[in-house]
Amino acid sequence: MEFTIDKAMRERLEEARERGRDEMRPIGLIADRLGRPIPRDDPYFEGLIASGEGRTRWPGLKSKPRPSTRDPLRTVTMTLLLTEEWAYWDRGVMVANPGPGLPEGNVLALGTDEQKEQYLGPFLDPDRPRWACFAMTEPGAGSDAAAIRTHARKDGDHWILNGAKCFIGNASRADWILVQATIDPEKGRDAQRAFFVEQATPGLGGFKIEKKMGLKAYESTSFTLSDCRVPAANLLGGEARYEERAGFKTAMRTFNAGRPIIAANSVGIGRAALDEALDFARERDLLGDSRVRDRLEQMARKLRAGRLLCLRAGWLADRMAPNIVEASMSKAIAAGVAQEATSLGMELLGSVGARGDHLIEKLYRDAKAMDIVEGTGQIQRMIMARHLVQLPRN
Amino acid sequence: MFDLQLDEELELLVETARSFAREELSPRLREAESARGPDPGVCASFAEIGLAALELPEACGGAGLGALARVLVNEELAAGDVGAAVALDPLGPALYPLLELGGETALKELALPLLAREGARAVLVAAADAELEVGADAVSGAVPWVPADRVDLLVVLDSEGAVALQSGIETEPLRGAGLRAAGASALRLQNAPIVARWRGREQAGRALARARLYLASLLVGVLRQTCEFTRDYALQRVAFGRPIAHHQALAFLLVDMHAAVDGARLLLHEAAWNADRGRANAALSATAFIEAIDASRFVGPNGVQILGGHGFMQDYPVEKYMRESRALGLLLGGVDAAREEAGRALCDAGAPVALSELEIV
Repeated sequence: MEFTIDKAMRERLEEARERGRDEMRPIGLIADRLGRPIPRDDPYFEGLIASGEGRTRWPGLKSKPRPSTRDPLRTVTMTLLLTEEWAYWDRGVMVANPGPGLPEGNVLALGTDEQKEQYLGPFLDPDRPRWACFAMTEPGAGSDAAAIRTHARKDGDHWILNGAKCFIGNASRADWILVQATIDPEKGRDAQRAFFVEQATPGLGGFKIEKKMGLKAYESTSFTLSDCRVPAANLLGGEARYEERAGFKTAMRTFNAGRPIIAANSVGIGRAALDEALDFARERDLLGDSRVRDRLEQMARKLRAGRLLCLRAGWLADRMAPNIVEASMSKAIAAGVAQEATSLGMELLGSVGARGDHLIEKLYRDAKAMDIVEGTGQIQRMIMARHLVQLPRN
Repeated sequence: MFDLQLDEELELLVETARSFAREELSPRLREAESARGPDPGVCASFAEIGLAALELPEACGGAGLGALARVLVNEELAAGDVGAAVALDPLGPALYPLLELGGETALKELALPLLAREGARAVLVAAADAELEVGADAVSGAVPWVPADRVDLLVVLDSEGAVALQSGIETEPLRGAGLRAAGASALRLQNAPIVARWRGREQAGRALARARLYLASLLVGVLRQTCEFTRDYALQRVAFGRPIAHHQALAFLLVDMHAAVDGARLLLHEAAWNADRGRANAALSATAFIEAIDASRFVGPNGVQILGGHGFMQDYPVEKYMRESRALGLLLGGVDAAREEAGRALCDAGAPVALSELEIV
């Protein structure tokens, strides 16, 4: 796990730090105070696009070379370091940032060339801030993803979707939503398919932006699909792929790069709490108290271990080595560490923390989501246990 | 940061230590505990593979390897039998003050003779753990516990330097809470003559840092073994119609134990890797030691818990692992001294704290 960070990467981290300090944190604090997501027409998003962010990793079709832009991040570990830095400044703002977001990986892995061109193409050199999103969670199906009820029915050369999704990041502002649905609710994961549903498609509606405890800078939105009709070509990967193999399982790989990203975000949030706590203690002349020092030491130590677990998982992913246990471990542990660090930070603040206007108090609320998104801590433990002690699925 | 990929030399070393631990140490774990020492045959074959001279400079006939090699080997030996691992290394962490403060002369005069003497033991004591009066020429006082039944060389380390003693050390055998295979004694010193005295704050700090890595690696080894043993047991033992490992409460506990050891090991390797690159960092080593102790408080007792009543009985090794991991974490000032050091380093650093900087080489 020896990295050399080249000059370009170092500059990117520096740039992330500057943007984080000057823009992300201030705008995140405003969103938190106002209790609403950053408006989609906020100049902050325009600035990101102008500076080359919000792009897809997809290189474009060979016949149409990608417009000259910065290189995408080469490795998972580099991505981890960068997202840790962003989350340090504001994890909510990071998720609000425009770009193809969560579904990009699925489209890159499973999409047809036509789908990549149609759905990722606009993100090659976007003319304005653009978002995309992935919709799996439903009111009755969170961790148990096999239980989703959103239904897809074939009707000639169209699919008709019906159902309800919730807690979907950036859904109301997304150009398109990759909707996970089932063609037969009795058949579990094998019957699941993903469909591109473009914004303003008739039947897609009922958008409701949820009120959250934290991470208020991005919208978590519920919506409904009522006889929402999409062309057959909108099935991710095309029909042929499902005739050969089962749906859900094709997405399963021996390595995972998504969970370490949440781990890196967790470490970022925890680090912010540590720095704030240390500043607070220094300003109030509390560092002479061993109880204060012990709390700071515990925060730093656990964060350091969390970061190493996270980087180990990324390092394995970069080598295409199996990392399922390590990825889940990094996510399960780092999310807990972020919670612990922010909570210890609150203790250190004492009643100042209870006022509700200190950054650590915000981080304490923000951090909780890290143990829930991308598979709860309990799900991660089930995944690890399947490997370590062959825990049966049922 | 550090390289997780071991080179061939280190892999071979780990394999050697692992085979030795599996074949020679773990099958005789209880015998060594009752006899207060490993079997002479085991000691002889250990001496043959040369692991004790791992970190001695080549000029002194050693392998000239560093902290990472030591922690890797220690983990394997401790997974076999941590008490025996302590007993088999004649120099133990007492090597580090000699290495850092005393230099080659001290190594040749004080360390090498011990390697040649059968059953010889050097013991390192942190001044804070003992009630000692260090005079100009001699030391008097008492040390409540050392994991040894004989002391050929006693090194007393404090933040300013160290002193070495070879005689005037009276040992009083104790039952010992753990590590009995290494022995257990209280020490009484009456005007024990100082044979060497070294000063140097920085070097003393480095010696303590290395010694903490030594202990942390033994902890990681015994904790790893706790995890592996309990996992195997939990897959065999059936309750309510299925292996107890397949009850979620225990499955989650097992993975959390595993994760605690992995986290401690990564911190340990990071600190050792840095020490080998001349960045011996007192705070990093202290952090690794604290995390290993933290893991031991969680893993040790839960190892017993998973075996239930059997865990409490000496027919199984988990009660031994629990006692020994607890005892190890009490050496060299234990968790409090380490927290004091790591906490102060953190508070003395400029803002943002060191962790926030990308310490990537």
